[in-house]
Amino acid sequence: MTTSTRSVQRVRPRGTPITWVRRGGLANLLFLLPLLIIFGMFSWWPIIDSFVISLQHTNFIVTNWADPLWSNFTFVFNDPTFWVAVRNTGYFAILALIFGYPLPIVLAVLMSEVKRFKGLFSVLAYLPVVVLPVVSAELWKTVFFDAGNSGVFNIILSWFGIPAQPWIQNVGSAMPSLVLEATWASAGGTIIIYLAALTNVPPELYDAAEVDGAGIWKKLWHVTLPQLRGIMLITFILQIIGTSQVFLEPYLITQGGPVQSTTTIMLLIFQYAFQSTDGGNNLGGATALSLLLAAVLAIFSAIYFRATRSWSQN
Amino acid sequence: MKSRRKAVWLAVAGVAAASVALSGCSGSSGGTDANGKTEIVVASLQPGASAAALAAFNTQVKTFEKKNPDIDVKGEEYNWTGTTFAAELAGGTLPDEFGVPFTDSKTLANNGQLADLTKYINKFSYADKFNKNVIDVAKDSKGHLYGIPFSPYAMAISYNRADFTKAGLDPNKPPTSWDEVETDAIAISKALPGVAGYMQMTSGNTGGWELTSATYSRGGRMESTASNGKVTVNADNDVTKAALAYLAKLRWTDNAAGSNFLLDWNGINAAFGSGKVAMYMSGSDVITSLVQNDKVDPANYGVTVIPVDTSAADAGVLSGGTVAVANAKDTPAQLAAVAKWIDFYYGQPQVDKDAAVTQAKALQASNQVVGAPSLPIFDKATYDQSREWIKPYATPGLLDNVAPFTSNIFAQNIVPEPNKHTQDLYGALDSVVQAVLTQKNPDVDALLKAVDVKIQALIDADPDQAAIK
Amino acid sequence: MSTTTPVISPDDVVLGQKPGAPATSPARARRAKSRASREAGDDRGIVSNTDWRRRGVRFPLATAHLVLLVLLVIAGLLPILWLMKAAFTPTQDTLTQPLAIFPHGATLTNIAQAFGVNIKIQDYFFNTIWVAAGAWAVQIVVSTTGGYALSVLRPKYGKIVTGMVIATLFLPAIVLLIPLYLTILHPLGFGGSLLNTFWAVWLPSGASAFNVVLVMRFFDGLPREIFEAAETDGAGPFRLFWSIVLPMSKPVIGVVTVFAIINTWKDFLWPNLVLPGGSDPASIQPLSVRLPAIQGTTELGPFLASLAIATLIPIILFLVFQRTFLSGGGFGGAVKG
Repeated sequence: MTTSTRSVQRVRPRGTPITWVRRGGLANLLFLLPLLIIFGMFSWWPIIDSFVISLQHTNFIVTNWADPLWSNFTFVFNDPTFWVAVRNTGYFAILALIFGYPLPIVLAVLMSEVKRFKGLFSVLAYLPVVVLPVVSAELWKTVFFDAGNSGVFNIILSWFGIPAQPWIQNVGSAMPSLVLEATWASAGGTIIIYLAALTNVPPELYDAAEVDGAGIWKKLWHVTLPQLRGIMLITFILQIIGTSQVFLEPYLITQGGPVQSTTTIMLLIFQYAFQSTDGGNNLGGATALSLLLAAVLAIFSAIYFRATRSWSQN
Repeated sequence: MKSRRKAVWLAVAGVAAASVALSGCSGSSGGTDANGKTEIVVASLQPGASAAALAAFNTQVKTFEKKNPDIDVKGEEYNWTGTTFAAELAGGTLPDEFGVPFTDSKTLANNGQLADLTKYINKFSYADKFNKNVIDVAKDSKGHLYGIPFSPYAMAISYNRADFTKAGLDPNKPPTSWDEVETDAIAISKALPGVAGYMQMTSGNTGGWELTSATYSRGGRMESTASNGKVTVNADNDVTKAALAYLAKLRWTDNAAGSNFLLDWNGINAAFGSGKVAMYMSGSDVITSLVQNDKVDPANYGVTVIPVDTSAADAGVLSGGTVAVANAKDTPAQLAAVAKWIDFYYGQPQVDKDAAVTQAKALQASNQVVGAPSLPIFDKATYDQSREWIKPYATPGLLDNVAPFTSNIFAQNIVPEPNKHTQDLYGALDSVVQAVLTQKNPDVDALLKAVDVKIQALIDADPDQAAIK
Repeated sequence: MSTTTPVISPDDVVLGQKPGAPATSPARARRAKSRASREAGDDRGIVSNTDWRRRGVRFPLATAHLVLLVLLVIAGLLPILWLMKAAFTPTQDTLTQPLAIFPHGATLTNIAQAFGVNIKIQDYFFNTIWVAAGAWAVQIVVSTTGGYALSVLRPKYGKIVTGMVIATLFLPAIVLLIPLYLTILHPLGFGGSLLNTFWAVWLPSGASAFNVVLVMRFFDGLPREIFEAAETDGAGPFRLFWSIVLPMSKPVIGVVTVFAIINTWKDFLWPNLVLPGGSDPASIQPLSVRLPAIQGTTELGPFLASLAIATLIPIILFLVFQRTFLSGGGFGGAVKG
């Protein structure tokens, strides 16, 4: 009886000090075992290992300590392609923000005011998200982005008297084309998030604003947008985190070309590690670059987790 | 809310239960099966090859197993790409027998990543007949043999005969100079809007491969070896610049290069198969794959030797090929079996009439290509003899259609590929080729110079090169 | 290894789903109330009913909605309809007149080829399901048992473990790409490589700190009185887990399930790396790995038919379960990464 009372004490939601109950020790461990094994092998160990690998010269076959130890990092900084990749990734992220960030907010606000067939609007907006990303990429690459006169987009442009565009076949337009595809493939998900956030705006706030004589634009500016501020920050950070790791589009659609204009950091990591031939796989360089990217992303992750927490607790 | 969750839950559980029945775990072969047979997994065809092509392959597997009842052969789809090979090698997912290009075989052998097959190959009936230059790609620095080269190719121009006719050109008189390639390409692109008169590959290391071929054909080289063995990269040379300027002219002035400039080996083959490219630079034996994967009608296919600038002393035709090799992880019993398979599948059809006829019949029965033009791995007489054997089974019309290639190739100066960090060099050159095709005035000098610097650094870091003062 | 980050706070799952728990913050109460009022039909947004009645508002807004609908049809529906059309169009027609509707009639050849021996799309489809099912199972086992141990049993060292789990939240999966690949090649304490086995996808997916934190938060919120009663009845930790905690955890298991399945379904980079195919790709590769692999070597018509088949089934599932996907901020609220 006393034990059980104590154990109830033990499991109170707002943590009373934990006391080790000897009798449950084995059970505790058994329940923790799957987590310890899986995290140990596939999370904690690889994290430690990545610091080790970044200090080594290894190509799957022979492994030596790098000399000097940080030479993988100097290799990365001395590789002109690294700077190209940084620039390209930044360019992708900025274009994705310009095209892809305001669009879902505008669409969601408009959609939330729809009276009839609201569901139809959300379903239509969400459809591209359901398509396998690989399928979208292949479809756009093989058919839509065809730069000839019989390419789908070019035919549509020709209806409006616009000449055929090179799409992914041109250094200048390749990256914007990828952003277009990526935005198409992901905007629906963000719209749904905003729609959900909009339904959580308390109607009393609108009622109150109306009592004060606020018109539609005033209500939008003084009620809706402030209420969305938290989620806007979250989607902003998530988009930065997502776009800094963009891989699928440049890998499948352009292979980083033309002339490295779509070689992103993730693609470069992949190329360092898995695409060098002549037996010279540069796992050390790839891991060093991964760590550099992770250091930047960890900052954004930290902001993200702070933001989600304060958002759901306010 | 609750019932909806329940529905999802049930659906997931149902799906999970249903798929338990479908589980298939790929078991790893220890090399010997329950009946004491030696099991080997050999490279068969590319992913997505037609059912007929697979049938032809399986017929030959059955013939082999009948001859060798103690060996169990399993085909595995295989596609050498510079981009995944290393990972597969490291991951141990390669079959027991597979092919590697001439450019990589020596490096892999020296790295100990392939199995030594010397003692088996030396017992082959034709062991002493190999063309010395060709067999060299299968040897390591100590002279050990790691496989046998098969279907060596020379660079060629593949063309769509129907497009030639439609453009008012004679499909039996393909171009013989780069100028003629240009005139014909212009004629085709004018007559057939949207079709690239002439195009080259540009990505996945193939852009550099074909730029190197174009350079060779004009008398240039990408790498040079000094008398002391020191290798210098020389991509920044006038001949390569001329080859790039030629491409740029086709693209920007002549409008005869089409509109897609991100084409790897598969991509340009598919574009040719679907009629978007009329002429392109390819290996001479590409028709085999064009029929397997791209539904090209051999009667509509033509191929000729890459134009060679006769005024340049060093001008020649780049050649390469594949070496059939064994996995370094194979057991001795498997190595013996792999050697038998390599002998049966790649070797014997070149030297033995029965073997040649059996293979040709199997391919013919499945509507696969018989008579794709390649280069000899032995002397020319043996090669001619083997072509003679399969003549009755050759794909209808093909031998005539490939005549512009086969009747001219032996007069050419055949030149092997650059031999130091070849794939790295090709990969770096991809960007340069893409630059002239997608930008109006790229700084070619700077781009080529950057390639030289990058590849030279890799070469200088090689232990054997570093040792040379 | 999935790179999709859910837009949901671990704290948020508890909202409105915790059985019999009182709302703990004014914000939650407000949301619960507004949700209730919405269900009662008292729906409103920025535009009030009075606004609606004004012509200056109604006309432009209705027009905007019509334009929006047209745009959504063009952007959301037409590409997919085009793909469905292409599945039944001969390759040459798709190449030369991609926007014409069956200029030379429709064909079933593409579909037949997609299911035929060359492509075997159905095999890869079942592999996809199998990959997702296994990843789901691993994630559920790890997150529920781990969450239970850390949140309910709370051993002394639990805080350290929790800290180590939470720390991995801040490290994006990408940093692990190469070391994780090496782990799969040479798993600690095991003989062979896991490459080309489903385990290579299943096991690493279990190391999701997000899942564990989510489940822990949920367990933290469960009413302790029930545990107390169970312990009084003599239930040990195993019975408590199996008969009390798990049955109460359906909401959180539902959320983990949806994320697990969507993430595994969509993931490309990792499965592409660890499932290269081997001797029988039809027994191991999911669609996301197979489709790009055959793109270069497959005729366009049958390839587009394969893409269409790979698209149709999730769309049907989506339409059937659309409320699950669309309701709540978290459901399917995954931003591309």
